[in-house]
Amino acid sequence: MLSMGNSTFEIAINAVKTILVFFMMVQAVPILVWLERRGSAFIQNRFGPNRVGPLGLIQLLADAVKFLTKEDFAPEAGNRFLFYCAPVFALIPAAIAYMAIPMSVPLVTESYTFLIQGYEVNVGIVFILGISSLAAYTILMAGWGSGSKFSLMGALRASAQIISYELALGLAIVGVILLYGTFNLTEMIHAQAGAFHFSAFGYTITAPWAPNWGIFYQPVGAILFFAAAFAESNRLPFDLAEGEAELVAGFHTEYGGFKMLMFFIGEYGHMMIASGLMVTFYFGGYSIWAATPADVQQWFADTLSVSNQVANILSVIAHFLCYTVKFAIFLWIFIHVRWTLPRFRYDQLMDLGWKTMLPWALANTIITATVIFVTSYFIL
Amino acid sequence: MSSDAFLFWFLALVTVVSGLSVVLMTNPIYSALSLAMTMIGVSALFVTLNAYFLAGVQLIVYAGAVMVLFVMVLMLFDLKHELQAFTRGRITGAIKIASVGILSGLIVGAVTMGLKTATTLTESASAANAAVALKTNPDTTRALAENLFIKNIFGFEALGVLLLVIAVGTVALSRSKGGSHARD
Amino acid sequence: MPLGGVIFITLFIAAFGTFLIFLARWTGGKAKKTSQAKFDVYECGIIGEEKKDTKISVKFYLTAILFILFDIEIIFMYPWASNFKSFIASGVGLYMFASMMIFLVIFIFGLWWEIRSKALEWD
Repeated sequence: MLSMGNSTFEIAINAVKTILVFFMMVQAVPILVWLERRGSAFIQNRFGPNRVGPLGLIQLLADAVKFLTKEDFAPEAGNRFLFYCAPVFALIPAAIAYMAIPMSVPLVTESYTFLIQGYEVNVGIVFILGISSLAAYTILMAGWGSGSKFSLMGALRASAQIISYELALGLAIVGVILLYGTFNLTEMIHAQAGAFHFSAFGYTITAPWAPNWGIFYQPVGAILFFAAAFAESNRLPFDLAEGEAELVAGFHTEYGGFKMLMFFIGEYGHMMIASGLMVTFYFGGYSIWAATPADVQQWFADTLSVSNQVANILSVIAHFLCYTVKFAIFLWIFIHVRWTLPRFRYDQLMDLGWKTMLPWALANTIITATVIFVTSYFIL
Repeated sequence: MSSDAFLFWFLALVTVVSGLSVVLMTNPIYSALSLAMTMIGVSALFVTLNAYFLAGVQLIVYAGAVMVLFVMVLMLFDLKHELQAFTRGRITGAIKIASVGILSGLIVGAVTMGLKTATTLTESASAANAAVALKTNPDTTRALAENLFIKNIFGFEALGVLLLVIAVGTVALSRSKGGSHARD
Repeated sequence: MPLGGVIFITLFIAAFGTFLIFLARWTGGKAKKTSQAKFDVYECGIIGEEKKDTKISVKFYLTAILFILFDIEIIFMYPWASNFKSFIASGVGLYMFASMMIFLVIFIFGLWWEIRSKALEWD
């Protein structure tokens, strides 16, 4: 149970799976960078990178070559050990946390069940929150290790901002936990599968055409969670840490070349966690609109008249595609918001976190608890 | 050696080594980062005891909040003077000797206590039974909730008041003028 | 919980990151010291000062400490929230609801006091 499996085969599969998910995250970053640059160009009525390869897609390869040929620089005033540790550490929390998010229904063979995720954690939310709260160390290590005032100020601002919004984030999740009564992400997705159904005062309301997604029960929580997730991943409109006009580039002022790229991988990793959690909590995870995984597999078996084995594989692929589409929509919203909204001022940022989002998240928790209590305690 | 035992010894080694480096490092930043690493190691040890929720709390509160504050404060002070004051001088020497004495006493005590408990546990098969019970019933969060909100409800509410008092005290302290680090 | 898997991938990513750093060092080479200014920390074009006496507003520490306190209070809601439905099913719902609401009243009073006493004011 504590180790990675019972047999050598299972251990090997689990190890390969984690490495695979990690490389999927890493190779998604250049695609997102391309999307971000083309997307910003589209929003600002420019061309963007369009010379290298079709639609500028090979631009990424050119960028990687450029990063690799940059000379390796470390400022003399800084602490070299922490300066080099910080970018390596930037990769770790994002990747480890993302692996706990389920991406499709399990692939069942005769003797094994393969989960389409890095690993199954039975206290998924607590694990992801705990691991991603370690990201503050990356920023502090980079800021202090650079030995520059701009870096230190940027690190200070970024960590104060991250911890302020972690409160609203944690409190918005309480509503989700109340709704599903579990910490486990797979159980949450199961609770959202199928058609809309809701029990209150002993009656059950059903709507077969609508999905049973969390957004219908937790709209305020979803907005608060998504806004806090922007702040957690240091994206505009919350990118005070790297406000170019004030702090040059914040905590990574002194970084360049591949080390800079590793910070980017970390930042995009946090974006991916936020999108993945948003999909899992409020948009049904991998589940397809108003259908349970069993329905989907049955449908494949019936319409294509294939064996259960093949139907299971098809269902895994269909659910994975469904997850990817939802996931991509949220990543696009991240990019779109970055090029739409202006940056906050620092006091506005702190006011929004502490005086607006925290009270709203509290109210959301209290109302959710009251509604759950009243509707299930009193039976008319 | 089974994989569980290997995992335990590996985590114990990580935790003890990072705990030692908290004391032995001369740079306070490295000490604080080592302490954070110790917290992460302790959290992983909680997982080996099936206390998943507590492991998460250890990560969120200690590694993610308390140690971030420590590292933040240490990084933003110029620590050269403070370092000199704490590593030189007669009183510091006396404190060092006293700490070594207390530490060796603690180690001796822990080893003797540990040996006693180990023998009693192996004599009765209760340890094995407890392990089996843990493996079959991993829902420790519910037991925790029952303890916290039903059995010890008064302590829980008192804790809320205590946290409020701490918050008020912090704000009051941050308002006070004077001291060696006063700005104006 | 697959602790072994988590530790494995952590070590793997650390090794991978270190490899990338060394790869970039090998392909790009060590920075040549063409002038002292290149190795000074960034300082908007003027001669850099050493950071000797950086004084930071106490607000940052205050925010961090208040964060710890509220974070602990929020953490206490987690086991309550995950078991609330099952507690209602086993008939102690009212008790659980009331106990957490009293705690939340203290929480809200604390937050209200922080806001009113301008401890969260940034200028």
